[in-house]
Amino acid sequence: MISIIRKFIRNDLFQGCPNLIATPLNFFTPVNIIDLNISRWLEAHIDRSASLTTFSKNLVLADVCGDGEYRLVLTDLKLENNEKSRLKIYKGTVLTSDQTLPDIPSSIISFYTSNYDSKIPVIGVACGPDLLIYKNSKPYFKFVVPPLPIEALEHSVWNRLSEDPNIDLQSTLDDLSSIPYKSLSPRSQKLLGLQTPLEIKDFISKYKSSEPKKFAPITCMTTLNRSTQDKQSPACPIIATEAGQIFILDPQTFTPMHEAISCATKAIPCVLQAAGMYDVEFRIVIACREGSICLLRRGWLEGKVLIQATANIVDIVVIPGDHFIMTATTDRMLQCYTKRGNKLWNQKMNTDITCLCLIPLSHLSTSLLGVGLRGGSIQLFQGRHLVDIIVGTETPSAIAFGQLGQEEHVMVIITTGGAINFKILKRTADFNFGDGEMNSNPIQQTKPLPLPKRSKLFLEQSMRERQNAVDMHQLFQKDLIRLRLTAARATVQMQSNQSSIGNEQELVKLSAQVPLISPNLTYKIETKVQEKDALVEDNQDSLQDSKRLLRVFVVRKREAKPIVAATINMPPTDLSFLL
Amino acid sequence: MGLFQKLAFFLGIKRKEVNVLVIGLNNSGKTTVINHFKNDEEKVEKTEIVPTVGFSVEKFQNQNLAFTAFDMSGHGRYRDLWEHYYKDCHGIIFVVDSSDRLRLVVVKDELDLLLQHPDVSNRRIPILFFSNKMDCKEALSSVKIAAALGLDKIMDKPWHISASNALSGEGLQEGVEWLTQQIREYITNKNL
Repeated sequence: MISIIRKFIRNDLFQGCPNLIATPLNFFTPVNIIDLNISRWLEAHIDRSASLTTFSKNLVLADVCGDGEYRLVLTDLKLENNEKSRLKIYKGTVLTSDQTLPDIPSSIISFYTSNYDSKIPVIGVACGPDLLIYKNSKPYFKFVVPPLPIEALEHSVWNRLSEDPNIDLQSTLDDLSSIPYKSLSPRSQKLLGLQTPLEIKDFISKYKSSEPKKFAPITCMTTLNRSTQDKQSPACPIIATEAGQIFILDPQTFTPMHEAISCATKAIPCVLQAAGMYDVEFRIVIACREGSICLLRRGWLEGKVLIQATANIVDIVVIPGDHFIMTATTDRMLQCYTKRGNKLWNQKMNTDITCLCLIPLSHLSTSLLGVGLRGGSIQLFQGRHLVDIIVGTETPSAIAFGQLGQEEHVMVIITTGGAINFKILKRTADFNFGDGEMNSNPIQQTKPLPLPKRSKLFLEQSMRERQNAVDMHQLFQKDLIRLRLTAARATVQMQSNQSSIGNEQELVKLSAQVPLISPNLTYKIETKVQEKDALVEDNQDSLQDSKRLLRVFVVRKREAKPIVAATINMPPTDLSFLL
Repeated sequence: MGLFQKLAFFLGIKRKEVNVLVIGLNNSGKTTVINHFKNDEEKVEKTEIVPTVGFSVEKFQNQNLAFTAFDMSGHGRYRDLWEHYYKDCHGIIFVVDSSDRLRLVVVKDELDLLLQHPDVSNRRIPILFFSNKMDCKEALSSVKIAAALGLDKIMDKPWHISASNALSGEGLQEGVEWLTQQIREYITNKNL
């Protein structure tokens, strides 16, 4: 029985019950669909010829000049060999700065370095193993992740090459190629790729004086406020590398303050999200390419796996406040997990999810989640409710929301076609949160019902129920009939017992009590006169008698026939007891 | 206007007090515009002008008309306040930052909200637009601003747009003179 109810509830909560969606009280009523069509966004600017190639986590909105005019900073990826990627800064809708980057950038962050100097944040761009820091749009500092250990054999090969000029090249190269290609340093990989002996000789003579080094490129970054939650307070950059290392850097000196690995097993981080403060307590949520989502907290040297997703992770966002982890996967699923990794709900999208974006709305004291979908639309969710749809023609590849220029609520959308689109949230947009709450009570339930855990006992019981359903039903019916029979018998018994001391027509009952056994016996005889089940009168007569047989008559005045007659047999007085 | 009336105005006998509402987005230069019209002893140093919180009330005179200007804050969270002052004002000064191309749509949105408001929509209230910050490099011309805001669609109210530079005071006097004229007409018509 319970198992069936449980199945029903699960269906309702997690798959969305078709019956519920059709009910008029539901959120998806026609009225609300019309509401969704009224745009809450102002179309500020669109440039279809920007030809940008920018992915999620590659654009930030920051006050990079310290004048209160927030600018859009993004990296424009160029994947062709002859073109260099670029770092671009937009003031409003106008491109004001454009500089080349040495390598293909993986991610970009912006943070304040200290409390004391002028309030100008720096820009951090991850290019290969380097974190390039720009201040005032100029290169300022470079942090290189610590090198990885080199294979012992590779080390000895390069030692031999540098010490002995007449070494047998072929055998040395054979030694090198015996090491798995993946674990070689880039220099050795290049050496093995060279064809002619002349090239090889040149290459060796060029590089033999220095030790080979192997670096893991930075895959993703984020920032974590150091000691206060203030917007302009210093924040530590957090970087994750291809080798699974996580570094938390000091915002002033750019030296690692804490080093950890993403997970006990090999997992390559692809998205980092941090909450809290470095000096107090923090949580870093790491989405890995292997599909796991790990958690790293203050003092931990190793992340703990929270969630194992079934499909590849596209993007994750941690909602501030309740720390829910919103996960988008390649199987078109948007999933919501608690901070402990318990799944709350999921929603299947009609098309692929390309990017996610957090939309904090402090004036409405809530945060929305923007979900960029293939085809061009962006759906905005509050919790699990769809509150707005932004319709577009091109698939968004990256979305950012925040202050731009003087305007606080700007959404910047970069599409896969390279267009850049600025939208401004209307001041009057309220997303009908109040109506939503009232109309969608069944779906509003973000907390799951407190279902008991599926214990072994429960599973066995439900299995038995399924196998012996007919027997169990018959047994239950038989027991029920027996119970009814017993009850009926008892009733008949009661009635036959009462007939001697009661008169059903007059509704009078007698009962005798002997409260104390003593030589002067006191009998208490109660006469109950009932009228239609209600007790009307309650007379108590006390009389003293020493006789063993007692006859009691209840008579009406001026009537000879008693209404009730009773004979009470007293128990023999126990003299020994009395003495 | 007859000779006698003119004389009366000149002598300041028939002095009128009017309320004008100064609105526009934050950082468009409303306070700087008002600051220009104030007496020399009340003027604030231009570098010391800070974003207005809520609103401030300033008084100045132009052509014997005593203006009480309600300098509203343009910040998003204070824009709700504007509509409470629509009822009692005789003219509106709408300051637009002509260099802020991104927010021109926001200006249009706010203007539409203003024009649709019941306290404004059925009155012939004059609206003066300042296309401010004309000295900026990326500033749009007042014609372009007028086109972007769709001012040509305002049929039932007198409006005027003048390019201005509130820092130097350029264009401000011209605009306010137009507004003074319009308010005078508005008040005379209303009294008739």
